[in-house]
Amino acid sequence: MTTAPSAANRAPAQTGRSILVRVLRCDGPGKPSRWEEFKVPVEKSANVISVLQYIAANPVTAQGQPTTPVVWDSGCLEEVCGACTMVINGKVRQSCSCLIDEYAPREGDVMTLEPMSKFPVIRDLWVDRSRMFHNLKRVKAWVPIDGTHNLGAGPREAPGNQEQRYVMSTCMACGCCLEACPQFTLEGDEKKWDEAFLGAHAINQARLFNAHETGKALARERLDQLAGPGGVNDCGNAQNCVKVCPKKIPLTESIAAMGRAVTVHGIKRFFGL
Amino acid sequence: MAPGFTGRFVSPNVPPQPGSRRSGRRKGLIVETSTSPKAAPSFFERNHLLLRRLHSLSGIVPIGVFLIAHLTTNSSLAWGKFGLRGQYPELGVQEGGVAYFQKEVTWISTQIPHLLLIEITLWGAILFHSVLGFMYARTGRSNTSSYGYGANWRYRLQRVSGYIGILFIFYHVATLRWGWTFLVPGGTKWDHHFSASTLASALRGGDNFTAAGVVVSAFYLIGITLLVFHFANGLWTAAITWGLTITAQAQRRWVYVCFALGAGLMAMGWSALIAAVMLNPAQARQVELKMQSKAGEAAAAITAPAASAKAGDPNRPSGQE
Repeated sequence: MTTAPSAANRAPAQTGRSILVRVLRCDGPGKPSRWEEFKVPVEKSANVISVLQYIAANPVTAQGQPTTPVVWDSGCLEEVCGACTMVINGKVRQSCSCLIDEYAPREGDVMTLEPMSKFPVIRDLWVDRSRMFHNLKRVKAWVPIDGTHNLGAGPREAPGNQEQRYVMSTCMACGCCLEACPQFTLEGDEKKWDEAFLGAHAINQARLFNAHETGKALARERLDQLAGPGGVNDCGNAQNCVKVCPKKIPLTESIAAMGRAVTVHGIKRFFGL
Repeated sequence: MAPGFTGRFVSPNVPPQPGSRRSGRRKGLIVETSTSPKAAPSFFERNHLLLRRLHSLSGIVPIGVFLIAHLTTNSSLAWGKFGLRGQYPELGVQEGGVAYFQKEVTWISTQIPHLLLIEITLWGAILFHSVLGFMYARTGRSNTSSYGYGANWRYRLQRVSGYIGILFIFYHVATLRWGWTFLVPGGTKWDHHFSASTLASALRGGDNFTAAGVVVSAFYLIGITLLVFHFANGLWTAAITWGLTITAQAQRRWVYVCFALGAGLMAMGWSALIAAVMLNPAQARQVELKMQSKAGEAAAAITAPAASAKAGDPNRPSGQE
């Protein structure tokens, strides 16, 4: 399983070099995009975030034109929150874990930064990923424990089951799987979100919660959603999702497992069971 | 409650009332489920699972099963001599292929019951599979330029092979089955009594190669190749769709199975096409005529004892007499 950094250049990095960073900029929702270039001196162990910080402090293009600071989103800076996900050199990944030495090791090397294309741009490299949250709600990706009275202890979880679920639970909803997916396309109209393809992350979460002893209570509702428009059947099996997942979640196995569950569910539904 | 909270806690399980406040977008901290009033679900939305799975199934049964039978029959043009089991010992490999292929075609057109019903079922299945496939394919956007992984290329090729493959199937069936000879260079009409010779001249654009015939033959090569790929790859993805192969290892093992099947079908399809294109229609016609006269003799031989039986065969039961 190779992740996005396969685009990286593995030549030994030069010290004291400057690189050219091309950024796809956009002033706001619905505004046109444009490329801007920045010449950035690279410090030791620099990553894309530190490069963006340099640009924010020195908002002047490589042509000497003053411009606005580039906007981006970030949080944990250790590849567990997913906020800084963007398209780097044409492939999606987290920018915090993207080391400049691997991507632009020589003087004058070019790096391109683009916002994810499957979500509406808020500004520059910052996108609105609320459709991911919407899709998690579609598959009811939670454990139903809210009640007016004490429900007592939950059912026991077998260690094997826990182990299988653990990797699925590491999803940080970064959106890499959706950005790389040819079936998941940009949908600006929120009214169409309920019928549009859910994507690998939500299908994986449905599997996670259907495998949970308490989460199972909503299994049928999740399968109804997965059987419907935009559900697991809309997957075209390009399997890019599993290749770009930074958490190495077996997304294609989750898709196949939910495919099987939907097959059984559909047959039961057909015969009214 | 946190200061600045202006929304309401809303259970997503509660069905929304039309025109209620829940049809709004975002209120404070809580992002509400988008529940704007929608049009009644369409036929395709209501039967989404059924249509998707029928689309998957129709590609295997009947279309895929037919493809296997069809290519096996056609490849007999290449290996038929060895299937004759000593019949027509005077024929060479190529002529023997013609003879066996003619035998197969005769068997199909005279022995299979409800042939037209089977054909209509197939045409209906292909129409269904291609119309839905086209609709489904339009929902995706290939991105192999950014993500050039093998499976992603197969995703793209599956769609391209569907588009070109359906054009090929239409041309193939229209010219050789429905007799739309205006689409055939040279205007040859396929005839099941002269199956190999008329096939060869339809592919060549006449008894000898013409430029248009080369184009037709090349289109056959592309069409056969893409459709065999489409079936083999479709069989691989169907196993995921239905949930037969779940783990990555199982999916890899199934790739080998599908690849082997595809390679076998490809070998049969290509050998059939090469054998058909290499065939001299005039020579093939001689073999077919010879078979017809032999069949005539055989028929006479069968009817003769029957006639003699009426006259009073001692071995026949004679209860009615």
